[in-house]
Amino acid sequence: MDTSASNQTMEQRVLIDLDRCIECRSCAAACYYSHANMPAVNFARAGWALLPVICRQCKAASCVEACPAEAMVRDENGVVRRRLLRCIGCGSCARACPFGVLPDQLGGTPTASRSPQRMTGHQVAKCDLCADRTVDGGDVVPRCVAACPAGALSFADEHRAEQLKLTVLGGRATGENPYKRR
Amino acid sequence: MAAAQTEQTAVSRCTLCPAACQLQLAGAGPDAWRAEYPSQGSAGLCPRGSAVCELLSSHLRISTAMRRRGPRLAEVSIASVLREIVSRASGGLTVLLDGNMPCEQLASAAAWCNAWPQARLCIAVEPADKQMLTGIDSSGAEYLPASRLADCDGFVVIGDAFAANPMCSRGVLDRRAGEPRTPIVVIDPAAGTASKFATHNVAVGAGMELAALAAVAASAGVDGGPLARQTAGEMSSAEAAGKAIAGCKRLAVLIAAEYGRAAPWQQIGYLAGLLAKGKGGGAAAQTVGANALAAVRTAAATGAISLAEALSDGTKPRLAVGCDVAGMLGREDIEIFAAAAPLPNETTDAAEIILPLAMNEELSGTIMADGDRPVRVSPLMSPPVGVVSPASLIAALVKQAGVSQARPVKEGAPLPRLQAGPPAPATVWKDPSGPLVLLGRQAANSGCGAVTGCASWQQALNQTPELRVSSDVAEAHKLKNLGLANLKVAGSSLSFRIRIAPELGSGIMVMPEGLPQVRKLLPSRIDAATGTITCEPVCVPQGLFGG
Repeated sequence: MDTSASNQTMEQRVLIDLDRCIECRSCAAACYYSHANMPAVNFARAGWALLPVICRQCKAASCVEACPAEAMVRDENGVVRRRLLRCIGCGSCARACPFGVLPDQLGGTPTASRSPQRMTGHQVAKCDLCADRTVDGGDVVPRCVAACPAGALSFADEHRAEQLKLTVLGGRATGENPYKRR
Repeated sequence: MAAAQTEQTAVSRCTLCPAACQLQLAGAGPDAWRAEYPSQGSAGLCPRGSAVCELLSSHLRISTAMRRRGPRLAEVSIASVLREIVSRASGGLTVLLDGNMPCEQLASAAAWCNAWPQARLCIAVEPADKQMLTGIDSSGAEYLPASRLADCDGFVVIGDAFAANPMCSRGVLDRRAGEPRTPIVVIDPAAGTASKFATHNVAVGAGMELAALAAVAASAGVDGGPLARQTAGEMSSAEAAGKAIAGCKRLAVLIAAEYGRAAPWQQIGYLAGLLAKGKGGGAAAQTVGANALAAVRTAAATGAISLAEALSDGTKPRLAVGCDVAGMLGREDIEIFAAAAPLPNETTDAAEIILPLAMNEELSGTIMADGDRPVRVSPLMSPPVGVVSPASLIAALVKQAGVSQARPVKEGAPLPRLQAGPPAPATVWKDPSGPLVLLGRQAANSGCGAVTGCASWQQALNQTPELRVSSDVAEAHKLKNLGLANLKVAGSSLSFRIRIAPELGSGIMVMPEGLPQVRKLLPSRIDAATGTITCEPVCVPQGLFGG
């Protein structure tokens, strides 16, 4: 992988239909089991709703700017991702994230420290849009989208979100009443 | 991630709920496996299905026979264990077989037990599921598969069907997306996930589901017979809900028989079936395990004894094959002589002898998933060396007793519907005054968590289980949102993370059902006379919360 920063940005995002999420956490489980037991899907609660939040792949990614170890980079495909071996677990990216979707606990969740694949137990879990399978494009979707039983998640061009009446997952998670079903 | 780790190796079906989702396996390191997901579209796989693939290579797998010697477990040979069980079975042996097995396994186990006079077979399913399926079968209602839910023009959801089977939500939500005015009536005292999508939430207290359903049916213009007339309660919300579905031409009734609610599930299943039939639709039973309907029908066809009967007679040693009866019923006083299971559970913890057993995903056979639709399942992989299927284990035991041939009860007959007839009106559970704690489904775990509870994601999720409390309970007990509290019930205590849930009715608290330690807080009662097992919500007076 080319580790130098890239100006290219990924246009496709994980979108959520707020009218369909049944809070089953299938997305989180799929992420956990396929990312060395470090789930990048977190949850935000607002009133009745418990909704998944993941990195929304900002065009001007504060986490990349803030990382002192160059662990957070935008790769050649435009995906903002964390380089496992460079992450020193300082938490700068989590604090810099304007949407609060990176875990504020080092190690992501308590599970990370128990993961047999862990390197230091201090890495920050970060969504890479399942780059191992989506990098070639086509109709391939990240695992959280594939696992969603209710059909609430989709993987599409973010510019179509409004047209599809969907919300970019991770965006406006604590904003002005995006929970239209309630 | 290395390419080798994402290589797909096998495809089979998950057997943890009636959806029977497709499973794909991928390598996750040396001798480790994980779930893989279809690369296109969103076929869906809930956390339980994802967990199963990890568990195939779990370090917790029971791979050898063990004998309890004092506080320690000593490895022994399977042959010596079988000899010991046979020698103890001279006065009879009760075999408790998990009902969530392929039909061929159930039939073979029944045939071997039938050939050995000492053995009495009990095919165990969740007590509430058994009652509900008996009721639906007796009503003559059609079983609706999830694929046909989107064609229905109205829905009645009893219990948290969306958590019991997340896949069934898709048909309901597809219909609602196309027809936003589709009525969705939800009857759930624990205000689970499904209630958040309701157009009509029927305000109902614990144990009052039957009265609410009868009132909905009456208001919808469906004759529920004497059962409905005697139990219908006066509820304005139920009447409004009934009027909303009165014009439906194809009504789907989704039922998740919730354990620990004191609800008469046989009567509810029967009345739900009548309501669905009366509105041209069908019932969708969201059971624990994909094959519960086949298990209940096989038990009736083979004359297997009930779980209540099996547990009431303490004179005969018990062999549990695959079923975590102690965890399911939340009881520590059930004596189990030997337990065979793929993973440790409450029953193996209590047993003197522990035997290894294949997981469902290592077996082939037929399951009646998604209503009563037969689905052929193939194994994801072979079981570990020396680990056998439930039917093979029972066959080896019976052969050890000198019986050379199985004696099938019925040769090749399709499993008939149960014809129990209209159930008698149920006794209404007396709701004790004071805050009640009851159990609610969690999409993460299946049943009592005997299998999925061993998965690493589920363990992390439930490190501190969540206790949802209504606002008035939180105020009365001085509980803080997201604070920790110890709940002491029935001599047991457990630490919970409190979540104040505005959606809950007054005086209600809800614990996650799929945890054996939680079920212990609501121990079940066995009524051998009526052959039923019941579990009721518990009243939590002041002072039972500790910091």
